[in-house]
Amino acid sequence: MAAEATPAPAPLLSVRDLHVRFPTERGTVNAVNGVSFDLYEGRTLAIVGESGSGKSVTAKTLMNLLPRTALVGGDVIYDDQDVRALAAAGTKHFFGVQMTMVFQDPMTSLNPVKKVGEQIAETLRYHLGRSRGEAWDEAEDLLSQVGMPEPARRVSQYPHELSGGLRQRVVIAMALACRPRLLIADEPTTAVDVTVQKHLLDLLDELRRDRGMSMILITHDLGVAHGRADDVAVMYAGRIVETADARTLFFDMRHPYTEALLRSIPRIEDPVKHRLDPIPGRPPELVSPPDACAFAPRCIYAQAGCLDGVPELSGLVGLHRFACLNPTGTERGADALAANRAAGTTAAGLALPAAQAGTG
Amino acid sequence: MAGTGHAQLRDRDDVLLCVKDLVVQFPAGRGRVVHAVSEVSFDVVAGETLGIVGESGCGKSTVARAIIRLVDITAGEVRFQDQDLAGLEGEELRKVRPNLQMIFQDPISSLNPRRRVRDVIAEGLAVWGDDIGSWSRDRIDELMDAVGVEARFGDRRPHEFSGGQCQRIGIARALALDPKVLICDEPVSALDVSIQAQILNLIQDMKSRYGLTVMFISHDLAVVKNVSDRIVVMYLGKVCEIGATEEIYSRPSHPYTRALLASIPEPAPTVDASEGDIGDELPSATAPPGGCRFHTRCPRATEVCLEVEPVTEQVGAEDHYVACHHPVAVEISPR
Repeated sequence: MAAEATPAPAPLLSVRDLHVRFPTERGTVNAVNGVSFDLYEGRTLAIVGESGSGKSVTAKTLMNLLPRTALVGGDVIYDDQDVRALAAAGTKHFFGVQMTMVFQDPMTSLNPVKKVGEQIAETLRYHLGRSRGEAWDEAEDLLSQVGMPEPARRVSQYPHELSGGLRQRVVIAMALACRPRLLIADEPTTAVDVTVQKHLLDLLDELRRDRGMSMILITHDLGVAHGRADDVAVMYAGRIVETADARTLFFDMRHPYTEALLRSIPRIEDPVKHRLDPIPGRPPELVSPPDACAFAPRCIYAQAGCLDGVPELSGLVGLHRFACLNPTGTERGADALAANRAAGTTAAGLALPAAQAGTG
Repeated sequence: MAGTGHAQLRDRDDVLLCVKDLVVQFPAGRGRVVHAVSEVSFDVVAGETLGIVGESGCGKSTVARAIIRLVDITAGEVRFQDQDLAGLEGEELRKVRPNLQMIFQDPISSLNPRRRVRDVIAEGLAVWGDDIGSWSRDRIDELMDAVGVEARFGDRRPHEFSGGQCQRIGIARALALDPKVLICDEPVSALDVSIQAQILNLIQDMKSRYGLTVMFISHDLAVVKNVSDRIVVMYLGKVCEIGATEEIYSRPSHPYTRALLASIPEPAPTVDASEGDIGDELPSATAPPGGCRFHTRCPRATEVCLEVEPVTEQVGAEDHYVACHHPVAVEISPR
C-alpha cells in the first residue's frame, strides 16, 4: 500500500533469515538455517532440493502449517504484512485466501467422505461468505477452469471416483477458489504419471499467467524446475546454496552441488548405457551440523577453508548468489580442483581419481 | 500397446527367459476382473538388460511378479532355460527360484526391520544350505563389500541405514543365491536424486561382475535408457512397442511411446511437444477398451482401432516392433 509511491516495485513476498528447528529425542534438528529470498508479482520461484534439504519445511513455515513444537526465527513479509504476526494473532481469511498451497498427494489432501464440490464450496462459504447455492455453482465453474472434463457430473463425485490427475485438479481448484496472489505448490506432480504431470504443470502455468499470480514451486526434480520457473533456489542441508534466474542456474552455475546434481541425473539425450557420474557419500545429518560447508565432505573442490565456518551467500538478494569459497566455473574453483586432483584427495578426505583431466 | 503377437520373439540359442502370451487377471469383486497383463510376449537373451517402461497401471510390475511367481499366472508361458515356470508347483518351483531374484522399490520396507542385515543377506543361503554351496561369514562379507556396505556394520539393523544403503543391502541379498536373472522393480524411484546414480552404477557393476541378466522396470524414461539394451513399452496390460534402446528413443513409432517421450519435463528431441497431449484419463483395467486399448487417448485412432486389436509387426530396423494400426513412419536405420 505505502509502497505504491516508490518507483521500484516491492516484492510480493520477502523472506529474511528464516530459521526452523525441531526439538526431538535425538537432539535439535536444524531444518532451515537462514533462508532469505524475494518473490515478485507474477514470477515463479522453484525451490529445488533433496529430502531433508528444508524445502518443504520452508513452504510449511510460510503457510503457518508447522507443528507447535517447531521453533521459528526470521521474517516473512507478504505485501507489507508480517505473516508470522498474522499467524500468531490467529488471523482468519489470510492463509488459504491470499496465499494458498497445493500438496503432493491429492488423496490425503481431500476428505474421502465428502463430494469434491462440497469441499470446494466449503472454502468459498467460509472465507468469502457465499451462500450454499452460490458456492456450489462457483465450485462447478472452478472445476471447468482447471480443465476437469464434465464438471457438472464431477462436482457431485467423491475423491475415490477420480483418477490421481483429476484429484489434483480438484485440489488446484480449491487452492484457486479465493483468487490467491501467491500459490505454493509442494511437489504437485510427484505422485502422478508423466503424461499427467505435463498436463498439470501446463495448467498451473496457464492459471498463473491468466491470473497474474506468483508461484513457489517446490520440487526435487530439476527437469520440472527447468522448464517452469523464472528463478531457482537450490537448497542443501537447510540452506540456499545457490540461487539465480533459471538459465544462469542451469547453464552457468557456480555451486559444486548444483553442478554435481545436474551431472549425476540420467538424461534422455545421453547415449544409451552411459556411465553416470554420481555424487559420493550422502546428505548430512541435521542434528548438530558441523560449523563448515555442509557439502564439503562430498565436494571435489573442497579446501581447508571449506571446513572452517559455513560460507555465506555471496552478492545481493535478487542477483545470482552462491555460498561457495571455490566456485565451479571460476579460476579459484579450477585451481582448487587441480590441487585436489594432484593430491588425490580433498581437504575433507574424499579420494579423487587423479586421471580425469579437463573438468572444472 | 494395445497389441498381442509374437513377431518380437527371437529364435536364438541364448534366449534365457521367454514370456509368451502371458495373462494375469485378478478378481475385483462382484464378478469383475482386473486385466492386469493381457497376452504379453517378450524374451531376454543371456547377458542382456531388458527395460520395461510404462505408467502406473500398465502391468509392468505384475509382469515381473508373475515371472518369479509372486502372483498367479492366469494363462501363458514363462520359459526359463527350457522349463515352463507357469506350471511349476512345490519343490520344482522352489528349485528354480534361486535363479530369479528381485529387488524392490522401497528399500527399507523390503528388509525385515528386526533382523541384523548380515542375517537378512544370509537368509536365502541358510534356507538353501548345501544345495546352493557352502555359505560362510566370508561370503556375506564379500557380498557386503561388493555392494559398498562396510562388513563391520553387518550386525546393525535396517533402520540404522539410509535408503540408499538399504537398497545396496537388498541387492546383496538378491545376489547371495548367485542368480542368473536379477529383476529390478523401480529400484531408484524412492531414493534421493543424488543417490540414484550410485545405485544405477552399482547395478551395472554387479551385472558385469556376476554375469547377470537384468530386467529393469521403471516409469522413468531417462533411467531406463541409461541401463537397457532393449526396451518394452507397455500400456494397460499390453505391449506397445519393443526394440533396441537406441531405436525406441531415436525413432519412436507407437503414438503412446511418442506421447511418453513428449511428456517428460525436458522432452526428447525426436518428438514434438504437442504429441504429449493425450488426456489424463487412463481407462479402467476392469473394462479395458476393445480393439487397441490405447484408442481412447490416441491422436491417430480411426475406426479400425476401435474394432481390431493390432499385433506386433516389424518397423524400420531389424529389432524394432510395434503394435499399432497407424505407426509413425520411421526411417530405416542404416545399420
